Amino acid sequence: MAKTYDYLFKLLLIGDSGVGKTCVLFRFSEDAFNTTFISTIGIDFKIRTIDLDGKKIKLQIWDTAGQERFRTITTAYYRGAMGIMLVYDITNEKSFENIKNWIRNIEENASSDVEKMLLGNKCELEEKRQVSKERGEQLAVEYGIKFIETSAKASIRVEEAFFTLARDIKAKMEKKLVSHVYNDCF
Amino acid sequence: MDRGDNLHQVTNTQHDLYLQEIEGIDDYWGPTFRAIYDNGEHSEFQEKLEQRIRHHDKDIERLCNVYYQGFIDSIRELLEVRSQAKKLNTEVGTLDNQLQSSAENILKSGAELVQARKVQNNIAVVIAQLNLCLPVLTTYSKLKKQIAEKRYYPALKTLEELEHLHLPHVANYRFSLQLRESIPKIRESIEKASMSDLKDFLENIRRFSPKIGEVAMRHSNEQLASDPTLVGRKKKRVAPQPPGTGNQFPEDELSAQEMIDFSPIYRCLHISTVLGSRATFETYYRAERTKQARLVLQPPTNMHESLESYRSYIHAVLGFFILEDRVLNTASGLITRAFLDEMWTMALSKIVTALQTHSAYCTDATLILRIKDLIMLFCTTLRNYGYSVKPLWELVRELRDHYTEVLMQRWVQVFREILSKEDFQPIKVEDQEEYDLVMSSFPLDADMPDDITFPYSFPFSGMVPKIYQQVKEFIYACLKFSEDLNLSQVEVDEMIRKSMNLLLTRSFSGCLSSTFRSPHVNLQEIIQIIVDTGYLEEATVYLDQFVSNITGEETHSVTTGVVQGQPAMFRVAREDAVRQICEKLRQKLNEFLELESYDWLLVEPQGHASSFVTDLIAFLQITFQSFTNLPPEVAQVACKSACEYIGNSMLELLLNEDVKQVSMGALNQINLDLLQCEQFAASEPVTGLQEDVLLAYFTKLREILDLFTSWDWPTYFHDYGQETSKYKQVNPDIAIIILEKLREADKKTMFTVLKKSERDKKKLLETVLKQLKQLSQIPPGKN
Repeated sequence: MAKTYDYLFKLLLIGDSGVGKTCVLFRFSEDAFNTTFISTIGIDFKIRTIDLDGKKIKLQIWDTAGQERFRTITTAYYRGAMGIMLVYDITNEKSFENIKNWIRNIEENASSDVEKMLLGNKCELEEKRQVSKERGEQLAVEYGIKFIETSAKASIRVEEAFFTLARDIKAKMEKKLVSHVYNDCF
Repeated sequence: MDRGDNLHQVTNTQHDLYLQEIEGIDDYWGPTFRAIYDNGEHSEFQEKLEQRIRHHDKDIERLCNVYYQGFIDSIRELLEVRSQAKKLNTEVGTLDNQLQSSAENILKSGAELVQARKVQNNIAVVIAQLNLCLPVLTTYSKLKKQIAEKRYYPALKTLEELEHLHLPHVANYRFSLQLRESIPKIRESIEKASMSDLKDFLENIRRFSPKIGEVAMRHSNEQLASDPTLVGRKKKRVAPQPPGTGNQFPEDELSAQEMIDFSPIYRCLHISTVLGSRATFETYYRAERTKQARLVLQPPTNMHESLESYRSYIHAVLGFFILEDRVLNTASGLITRAFLDEMWTMALSKIVTALQTHSAYCTDATLILRIKDLIMLFCTTLRNYGYSVKPLWELVRELRDHYTEVLMQRWVQVFREILSKEDFQPIKVEDQEEYDLVMSSFPLDADMPDDITFPYSFPFSGMVPKIYQQVKEFIYACLKFSEDLNLSQVEVDEMIRKSMNLLLTRSFSGCLSSTFRSPHVNLQEIIQIIVDTGYLEEATVYLDQFVSNITGEETHSVTTGVVQGQPAMFRVAREDAVRQICEKLRQKLNEFLELESYDWLLVEPQGHASSFVTDLIAFLQITFQSFTNLPPEVAQVACKSACEYIGNSMLELLLNEDVKQVSMGALNQINLDLLQCEQFAASEPVTGLQEDVLLAYFTKLREILDLFTSWDWPTYFHDYGQETSKYKQVNPDIAIIILEKLREADKKTMFTVLKKSERDKKKLLETVLKQLKQLSQIPPGKN
């Protein structure tokens, strides 16, 4: 059977419960928004194929439950992930502080070369903001990762976030491929 | 004369003669004069004549002297007389004047007297005549008055009296003639007037009959209210009044009919009887009333819009027939029982049709209830007047079905509303108060832990108590219709249960399935729905009790009758939900399968399962682990369906026509993946499933892979068709397909043909293929 894609990237969304991981994913995969909060149970995923520099890239994005009780289940998915979105809620200081813990979690469970990205979600709620953009940027710089503020509800920069992550993974992968070929040759 | 000479003498004498002649003759003196002249004596005669004249002068003088005194005296006397005569004349004149004037007055009085006498006589005559005429006129004026007062019947009598008694006496008068001539006209006009009166009356009752209907309905309503024992079960409590006793109406019914003055009818009836046109009148009346009936029975086109129009329609019809009943009973024979019955039958069918048609438009349950009440009251009132109302009962029955339909539609809305606002999350309560609120709105059968720590989560979502309450509401709404319908408890009970059953199996299930058909509903929510329906199902026994409490029907009789239908109420929805879970799972599995990336020409397997299979299995595992609230039997069904789907899909991948070549390496890779699946199947992913139940879904692929990887054709052919065969699920056609794919793959590696072992292998492959083809020719069913 002919393959319908060139690359398959597995992405993972992590972050505290309620920061809007499912909504971000829902916005990206269905371009829709659901106001009722339904806490994700276990793990779910959505697939979307995107065009990136002429390549068809299938993104299998895993949406994890933020709740503590599913932690063991979700960490099992870290290993297979090629990119991880760390999501916090700009109106929730705690979720931002917890990013450090999530990063530690990644370091313990994910492969070392996983692409990471920091998302400050719910940026449409400016009047309730608790975490400034600068702090987000600063944290990203600290860990050497990219940072974007998004809004799943207002559909702000969600596409951009996923495309950026996908592009980084693709670049890294092609670089690796070249080096493999290089190593094979010599 | 005598003294002269003789000749003188003789001549004297002759002259004397002449004188005498002249004196004697006044004229014709010619001959005398001739004679004088002839004798020549004229001088003598002149003398003589002179003498004579002297003589006469002397005579005259003497005479004058003699009479002069006397003349004077006479003149004197005459003068006296003249003055006296003058005086007398004046006197006479005065007298005459006096007389004249007095006579004139007398004459005038006389004339007046004569006139007066004449007048007197005339008056006497006139009085006499007038005395004769007077009765005619009084009668006539009486007649006029009666006509004016519209008392046509007495007017007719008066007219007759006038015609036969009074008019003959005064036949010779012009007015009497006129009267006589006008009598037929008057008669006609009376008839006309009474007819027009009747028309007015007819028009009037048409206007008033709704009012009458209204009053009558009010009365029967009051009766019902004051005497509840009578509700529904009274017979013809007020028998129709036989003609003749029409005045003795029961008091409470008086006003309804007495609102109308029926006298025009009676009058018209009398008049037409007198005039001998009764039959015409009857026909006219009946025709008019039939026409009116048709009008009354024509419902307003927008009747379905408001209760008011229903009410006025029913009032009008009722009023009409109350009046007709009254006419039947009081106006002897104007209409007959048969006529009225016929009209009523016609009317009844029209009423039923009209109400049917219009109520069918109605989508407002409250309005239907009101219509029902209206019809019920209508029936009761009609029965009071002795009309049969059976078809109306049928109508009420139909209306009830319609009502239930409308309720269903309304509740579909209610359910939709509930479901659209539903988050399909377990209800979370923060304190005792909230907890108690949930507990009071839904009968939870399960044993609740004694000490609850807050926040506490109920297993079901907010929809459950809401739906439960709504079903109760629905039952109440259903009941409202059967109020004062005089149905037996069994009937009511049956009706409610039937409706409730229909509501849950059809409406609720429909709403629910459309909810979880929405692409946005995820697995988690469907699982919650299943859990919720489970609780609702358990609660049906309470609904059952609830109905029994209301209807008073004993529960046991009910349980035998209906209980087998009860679980079905939510079962439909539940089964649908389970199907939907399988469907959702399958969708997810499909997404995994789409990520499949087999290299069909793989030389060596990777040594571990393909990543999409690993992910898929992990996902299934986590899903069944995470959804701890999924009822075991549902989880089992879902898991079975998932395994079956995976098994079939993997087999399909292998048999896919687009894949022309398959290497042994690829088969080994699939084997690795299958092992992964089998491991999952054996791991009891959901409790209560025998391990081989799930494994069975992978058996076929397992047998195929075993056969090909071990290249165990002798056993295959040896055991073919036997129950105990290791490869009994591998049918020759499938084997042929895979074998041909392997052959195609082998062709790629041309140089292998050079090796003897490879050549043998190839030869064997061809032999096996041949044998398989033979097998597939044999129609199955040898065993």
